Amino acid sequence: MPATVAGKPVNGPNKGLFQNTAGFSTLITVTVLTLAWLAGFASRLFAVIRFESIIHEFDPWFNYRSTAYMVQHGFYNFLNWFDERAWYPLGRIVGGTVYPGLMITSGTIHWLLHTLNIPIHIRDICVFLAPVFSGLTAIATYLLTSELWSRGAGLFAACFIAIVPGYSSRSVAGSYDNEGIAIFALQFTYYLWLKSIKSGSVFWSICTALSYFYMVSAWGGYVFIINLIPLHVFVLLIMGRFSQRLFVSYTVFYIIGLLLSMQIPFVGFQPIRTSEHMAASGVFALLMAIGAMKYLHSLNPKGQWKQLLIVGGLVAAALVFIMVVFLTYMGVIAPWSGRFYSLWDTGYAKIHIPIIASVSEHQPTTWSSFFFDLHVLVCTFPVGLWYCIKNVNDERVFVALYAISAVYFAGVMVRLMLTLTPVVCILAGIAFSILLDLVLKEDEIIMTPSEPEESRNLYDKAGKVKKRTQEPPPPADAVLGMNVRSGTLIAFMILLMLFSVHCTWATSNAYSSPSIVLASYGNDGSRKILDDFREAYGWLSQNTAEDARIMSWWDYGYQIAGMGNRTTLVDNNTWNNSHIALVGKAMASNESAAYEIMSMLDVDYVLVIFGGAIGYSGDDINKFIWMVRIAEGEHPRDIHEADYFTERGEYRIDSEASKTMLNCLMYKLSYYRYDSGGSPPGYDRTRGSLPGNRGFKLTYLEEAYTSEHWLVRIYRVKKPDEFNRPRIPLAKRTIPTSNAVSKKTSKRRKGLLKNKPTIVKGKKVGRLE
Amino acid sequence: MKFSLILGLAICINIAIADQETLVLVDNLNIRETHSQFFKSLQDRGYVLTFKLADDGNLLLSKYGEYLYKNLIIFSPSVVEFGGQIDTEAITKFIDDGGNVLVAGNAAAGDVYREIATECGFEMDEESAAVIDHFNYDMLDDGDHTRIVVSPKNLISAPTIVGEHNTQPLLFEGTGLILDKDNSLVLPILTADSTAYSYNPKSQVKEYPHAVGRKTVLIAALQARNNARIVFSGSMFFFSDDAFNSPVAKVHGDKVSSNLSGNKALAVHLSEWAFGERGRLRVRRVHHNREGENESSNTYTITDTVVYRIEIEELKNGKWQPFDANDVQLEFVRIDPFIRTTLKKKPNGVYEAVFKVPDVWGVYQFKVDYDRIGYTRLYHTTQVSVRPLQHTQYERFIPSAYPYYVSAFSMMVGVFLFSIVFLYYKEDTPKTKSE
Repeated sequence: MPATVAGKPVNGPNKGLFQNTAGFSTLITVTVLTLAWLAGFASRLFAVIRFESIIHEFDPWFNYRSTAYMVQHGFYNFLNWFDERAWYPLGRIVGGTVYPGLMITSGTIHWLLHTLNIPIHIRDICVFLAPVFSGLTAIATYLLTSELWSRGAGLFAACFIAIVPGYSSRSVAGSYDNEGIAIFALQFTYYLWLKSIKSGSVFWSICTALSYFYMVSAWGGYVFIINLIPLHVFVLLIMGRFSQRLFVSYTVFYIIGLLLSMQIPFVGFQPIRTSEHMAASGVFALLMAIGAMKYLHSLNPKGQWKQLLIVGGLVAAALVFIMVVFLTYMGVIAPWSGRFYSLWDTGYAKIHIPIIASVSEHQPTTWSSFFFDLHVLVCTFPVGLWYCIKNVNDERVFVALYAISAVYFAGVMVRLMLTLTPVVCILAGIAFSILLDLVLKEDEIIMTPSEPEESRNLYDKAGKVKKRTQEPPPPADAVLGMNVRSGTLIAFMILLMLFSVHCTWATSNAYSSPSIVLASYGNDGSRKILDDFREAYGWLSQNTAEDARIMSWWDYGYQIAGMGNRTTLVDNNTWNNSHIALVGKAMASNESAAYEIMSMLDVDYVLVIFGGAIGYSGDDINKFIWMVRIAEGEHPRDIHEADYFTERGEYRIDSEASKTMLNCLMYKLSYYRYDSGGSPPGYDRTRGSLPGNRGFKLTYLEEAYTSEHWLVRIYRVKKPDEFNRPRIPLAKRTIPTSNAVSKKTSKRRKGLLKNKPTIVKGKKVGRLE
Repeated sequence: MKFSLILGLAICINIAIADQETLVLVDNLNIRETHSQFFKSLQDRGYVLTFKLADDGNLLLSKYGEYLYKNLIIFSPSVVEFGGQIDTEAITKFIDDGGNVLVAGNAAAGDVYREIATECGFEMDEESAAVIDHFNYDMLDDGDHTRIVVSPKNLISAPTIVGEHNTQPLLFEGTGLILDKDNSLVLPILTADSTAYSYNPKSQVKEYPHAVGRKTVLIAALQARNNARIVFSGSMFFFSDDAFNSPVAKVHGDKVSSNLSGNKALAVHLSEWAFGERGRLRVRRVHHNREGENESSNTYTITDTVVYRIEIEELKNGKWQPFDANDVQLEFVRIDPFIRTTLKKKPNGVYEAVFKVPDVWGVYQFKVDYDRIGYTRLYHTTQVSVRPLQHTQYERFIPSAYPYYVSAFSMMVGVFLFSIVFLYYKEDTPKTKSE
């Protein structure tokens, strides 16, 4: 990787020297982009090398399962797929609740390769799709940046995006998720948009709309595009930059994009019925109004028309706004969804939608993760932004808006770091390109001091874009001496080196764990693989009935369906909050109350994740408080969060824990028969304490399987006839019975009769006892 | 689900017909003679009776995890502790694994009996307590008024258990039983009259008796959730030859008298029920399909019309014959029942329902849950999924959209015409200009 980064500074002067030969610069461009692609691909393979070629985490398992289904049964069957194995007993219409772009992409690749007689398993395509697409993202970023600034900046940006951890976190091999292809679609759509707004041609606008269609089919993040582009248009209108080009490109893009996006079954009528999409149509109406007034203005270009234009524009804007508000009030347009609200008010989700707040990805971002994901780029991208604003034109307005909005969203949610990363790469690329131009060009002037004008002419020929970059430097440069320049150069090269080292390190250590296979390291550095998840899911698929229904917390739904091939009650597609709350309630109730819920839902097995034995902190007991919160949201009469805390408000599991906590199903299933975890036996390493309720027995469930390191525990729910004989408990008996001690021994097995003649005074003995 | 149920039933039948091994635990082998008629009736019906003393040191219920006996008769009230490997725990396990048990005691029965009774949901009165009825005792009573006459009207109204023609008065001598009121599975087969109570006949009544009046149950039965059957009688005398042959004559009241007690008929009926000769149902076949099709399908589309057929059989005289009832219901359940309907009776024990699948997709179950006193629980579920319309199944042209169709096509025509006009004008204008 350092090779590519170091490669660029070399081609800086090269470009200058061989300016005339356009072929040479193309060669360099192609070489650098290829190397960037290769480096990006290679750095994403850590997981495959260290573990194996498997699908990671949670959501990718669903994507993989549905891709495999599509490859096996064909596209139309996939579109109509009613999955009765998910969300039992509600079922899920997969075709209508999924962004099919990912599956179609890998399905197409699979089909293509098989047509060429290359027999590759669909799993391998799924595993390596994201790394391959990272190269396409690099190219799209290069195109976008060259459109904005210069090709040199584009190459920088492409190299950055290829290896930056903020993007590779979502696109390592095996992380088969929507984001892997969506970032490419995002960058490419923006590139085409800039192209169309520059040229004002219908062709590029339609290309933009097609690329937008691909984005819509791939990721829910398309909402970002359909709000950012109208925002761009709106800001351009405010800045008085209305033009025919803008009018043509936006109207064509909007109408075609709208129609295309509605073809995705999951999106359906949302683009015309929800508030999230209203900005786009509002701006469309506004643009139409302004276009009409411009036309009127052009008919009679007199003084008072200009005022009319401004007033008319304002009136039109107000009218559009009132219209949208009114329609929302009437219920024609759905108000903003909860997920969207939580972007504006970070506390909203915590109060109203605990299920969103419970996901760690949805927490606000910390400063350290900004640095961790972007490293030096986070410090340099404001420079690029400043230059863009300083030398503003239509496209740079766009990138400024992109940067500002993405920074805001990335600050609200860790997950949206992903949308920030590309723009940071673009702007940092611009910044570095400016810097190198500044430092190296001066070098040239000194080397050829006699003909500065000639070199200027050469620059002029290269391209229009170069012209702008050249304008700011001269006064500042003159002051810089040779040493300062080479010092700066070396310092920045070291920074870039460090950046690439950090990227490799972060990708390798933080983002390349499959999370279904865990690795632990011994004192001597030896690596130990904990394969409990697959072990347990394998057990499920081999030892349970074909239609067995597994209850677990929703995190593991996709994995159970993907690896265990069994019916689940809830999964990571958290579309039905009340169903999840029901499962949460079962987990939070005591055994008998839970049994009622479980038999209502026909549960056959319960699966819990317990990390106490190996100190795995992402287990169900640590997630339990969210289950309680979600259950309380739907069943406030039965579940109270406060009952699960101690009187002092602590969440603990030892003897001081609350009674409700010690007797709830989740607690019992986690600690049943638990005697591992070091000394004393039964010590919980994750919580660092000894469980408060131990040695209890289960009435309604029985242990079916526990994996090697106690990580996954599976229980079978008993059928009513297995425990339900109507025995009268001791306390309820009206007639007391004496507890006779058996006189039988291992040798003498004879019983005892009261009035048997052989036993003298048998009756008395019997009574005495 | 379906398979395991049928398989389980098939195994039951095999055992019931092939080996009707029955273990009889007695106080002394003399009981074989005193209760000969009862045992003979069992042997006549094909049961292989193995008599063992209750304190025999070699008693075994199961060997290598297989039960040696299908049925267990305990006629040994004086047992303090069973011999061999049998104890209360072994007996309850036997019941939990589906074994049938017939227990009869008397006033002297010890705590072992009480333990067994409480495990099954009823309680036996204290040791030496007997049911006393000063108004309904038999002429042959020895003065304690414990040999009581019970009217067959006090029998539970379940012909499967007690038979249909119980007109003769019954003789009873022994302890009373108390039933757990919260328990719906326990059946009071025979209760005493309102004038009866259960107490030690030798001592004065100092405390309130545990069982008084009609709450005094003489014979109780339990059909556990696994269809194991337990009949618990407070009187062993009830099954004896003495009681079978004795004439009955009440001293007081209506002075009912009869040449022969009804004990024999009832005892035989009870044993038939307890050992699973009667009141057993099974599902022979289940078939469901879309109306108009023959093939069974596991997937239905919303608002399909579905035909559901279930064939139910009853064990009669050792043969499976079509079951006859008119109250079998079907539920179509997704967490809650969306449809609940009574199945229509067709010939040959076939029950049928035709209904429209609700307009809600999901995974449903056809559920037949037929639970009647005296019969084994018939519970059968079939899981099917109800899916939404496929993308080709929606209506292509809907009336309310016609204005839009018109607008779309008129637009097309308009653009076509406009382009012709436009082209025509394009050619025209230069001419006019040049002119």
